Amino acid sequence: MTRKLLPALVVAAVALALYPAYGTGYGIRAMLQIFMWVALAGSWNLISGLTGYVSFGHVAFFGTGAYTGAILIATHGWAWPPAALAGGVAAGLLALVIGWPCLRLKGPYFAIAMLGLNEVLRALVSYFEGLTGGGNGLSLPTLYASVQIYYAMGALAAAVVAATSLIVTSRFGLRLMTIREDEVAAEAMGIDTFRHKLLAFLLSAIGPGIAGALTARDQGYIEPLSVFPLAITVTMIVMALFGGKGTVWGPVLGAVVLFVAQEIVWARYPYVHPLLFGAIIVAVVLAMPRGVLGLLQVMYRLPRTI
Amino acid sequence: MTITPTMLGQVVVSGVLAGSLYAMVALGLALIFGVMRVINIAHGPLLMLGAYTTFFLWAGLGLNPFLTVPLAMIVLFVIGALLQRTLVFRVVDAPELSSLLLTFGISIAIVNLAQLAFTSDLRAVEYITGAWVLGGLAFSKSRVIAFLFAAGVTALAFLVLQRTRLGKAIRATSQSREVAMVCGIDVGRIHLLTFGLASALAAAGGSLLAVIVAIQPEMGQVWTFKSFLVIVLGGAGNYPGALLGGLLLGLVEQLAALVLTTQLSEVVAYVLLVAVLLVRPTGLLGGRQT
Amino acid sequence: MAFVLEIEGLTKRFGGVTAVNSVSLRLAPGRIHGLIGPNGSGKTTLFNCITGVERPDAGRVLLGGERIDRLRPWQIARKGVGRTFQVTRVFPELTALENLLVVTRGDREAAIARARELLRFVRLDGLRDEYAGNLSYGQQKLVEFVRMLMRDPSLILLDEPAAGVNRTLLNELLDAVRQLRDQGKTVLLVEHDMKVVMGLCEMVFVLDHGEKIAEGPPGLIQADERVIEAYFGR
Repeated sequence: MTRKLLPALVVAAVALALYPAYGTGYGIRAMLQIFMWVALAGSWNLISGLTGYVSFGHVAFFGTGAYTGAILIATHGWAWPPAALAGGVAAGLLALVIGWPCLRLKGPYFAIAMLGLNEVLRALVSYFEGLTGGGNGLSLPTLYASVQIYYAMGALAAAVVAATSLIVTSRFGLRLMTIREDEVAAEAMGIDTFRHKLLAFLLSAIGPGIAGALTARDQGYIEPLSVFPLAITVTMIVMALFGGKGTVWGPVLGAVVLFVAQEIVWARYPYVHPLLFGAIIVAVVLAMPRGVLGLLQVMYRLPRTI
Repeated sequence: MTITPTMLGQVVVSGVLAGSLYAMVALGLALIFGVMRVINIAHGPLLMLGAYTTFFLWAGLGLNPFLTVPLAMIVLFVIGALLQRTLVFRVVDAPELSSLLLTFGISIAIVNLAQLAFTSDLRAVEYITGAWVLGGLAFSKSRVIAFLFAAGVTALAFLVLQRTRLGKAIRATSQSREVAMVCGIDVGRIHLLTFGLASALAAAGGSLLAVIVAIQPEMGQVWTFKSFLVIVLGGAGNYPGALLGGLLLGLVEQLAALVLTTQLSEVVAYVLLVAVLLVRPTGLLGGRQT
Repeated sequence: MAFVLEIEGLTKRFGGVTAVNSVSLRLAPGRIHGLIGPNGSGKTTLFNCITGVERPDAGRVLLGGERIDRLRPWQIARKGVGRTFQVTRVFPELTALENLLVVTRGDREAAIARARELLRFVRLDGLRDEYAGNLSYGQQKLVEFVRMLMRDPSLILLDEPAAGVNRTLLNELLDAVRQLRDQGKTVLLVEHDMKVVMGLCEMVFVLDHGEKIAEGPPGLIQADERVIEAYFGR
């Protein structure tokens, strides 16, 4: 199905690649944000949308990537591209450490472990002040690289979508979905669900890790509250759910629509929008569990692999 | 630093005093999980609402904050029952993903509503400060009174569970819903009352905390995590286990504060959770495998 | 004779209740075995202990002489034990074909060909692209049945294959079971429908209150005093 969309995708990619040459500063920043949310929501979708194991702490990977990248750049003088990749690696390692004990078990253990992870990382960042700057934060040397970061974040978003598309159309992806559908039956079929979950979780952590490092470079300054807020987790969950969890393009749709809505409408009522996000989660779970794209798939009998 | 017997004694005192609150609040989460197989992510935010109820009754009407505990419990019983009635009942039989996401959404909405309504300013109920000193050990006055209330409320909850028809129905439903239905138990009603009761237990926790710590809209979220940790320590589906799990968490946190630093007490609690999940996922005290 | 599956003194308790109490039984290769007993006699628990879903409190389970009672369900499945469930468990949001494809690796075309062959075997090839959740209960049961065959198991465990299935479908299913037996596979089935058990099985085990109270060919079992008392008498 994605193959049929290919011409449109190429046009979109070319347009987005040319955009920095013509766009305004604000426009480039906004697009950068959208890329970031596509990468984050799409990554959350890989574990939670496909296997049904809900991660309530995906921002932990974003923050881990941000600190890893920032420390490597500020303290060790790394260039930002390898530092960004290192952020992804660090986030992936964290996913293995958390996933190893928590993904063995069925039930809500994983969800709650992820819920608590964020607080723990914040505490650790504050504790290891020498390394992280603690509550004072960490400043990065000045660098004007917004356009490069734009391309890097765009490539990351594209990579997450492409990876999702490959997974969803593969038998590996089918096996991930059997975990969501019926884990007991999946095991009875000989599927090593633990390894599948762990691998999906690992993949889902790398994107946010890279995005965190890129964001740290882009903003030039990070502190615990700016890279570990619960709001980032909430936002990626809302976007993936609204667009359609378990689909390829749902998180993209959710990220674009909700980001634009946030910029245009809710920016005027800043305190209302987190409340609305909570309400959207409730409404989607109860009224539209497949999200917008899932609904379209059912209505127009579109393939699931879109 | 050398650790003296007095310091260890203080760990036990402070640990038990704090643990009583953990036990009471976690019992609420355990009840909902036992009866409905739902982990209520909004449990901590409901606790926060309990704390605000006490604050406003104290600040607005001048009520003795400890006397507001039953009032806060009643208010949150109603709110909890309403949540169950309007939203949560729809996902009781749905896949786990739905109930987790739904209660997560509710928790986000509650916290942000509280931020709109009460602002993010820190509030405090200044009622009783200082400590009694007994044999070189400090007994924080507010914590001792909170301990007595928590012990009383928890005992009452167990009395309800063990002795009353409602309690028997709740326990029967958490054993097996089918059996409960065959026995003529109105399962929907039991779900409603359980959610109310659990929210009231959270409210009692918040209400007592109001006298001890500063209140703000985000104070509750960590309590969902800690309550769950207590359930894991005690063994899921094992209600008395929640009591021991609560005390254990209190002691471990105090010990960590003594040996390491208070800053890392959350980290220690987290490591404890991960360690228990690795070594003995059915809980230290055993319990029903889920 | 080498037995395919040997269960020795298997015990499983839930809290204070002993669901299976020191049960021993052996399955001979290439035979259809029946496991019967009143409700709550421990049949499904025994199944779950064989397939690794539950871990026995005591006793051993040997598959081809090798202990499997400490293995995870997926490891046991890969050793050639296939099962179906009492209440059918297909993957509802996967198509019928995908339900079968999930366990395959390697050559995708070959896997699809094999899956379609099995779907044709139960006459569901025409519905291969339908989501399994949209199929009728009987069709789901067939999908579950052939999905189990994708790994070409040597031991097949069927939990109440006749429940909720109409006569025509049932006869097809029973024919399929006989065909599998003729291919040399060993079958153990839990069943309530006595006609099915007596007509199909060559060896029957009877459980009551978690204990094995009788075993033997169907004819003898039907005449056994204890069985009549525990089962037919009520």
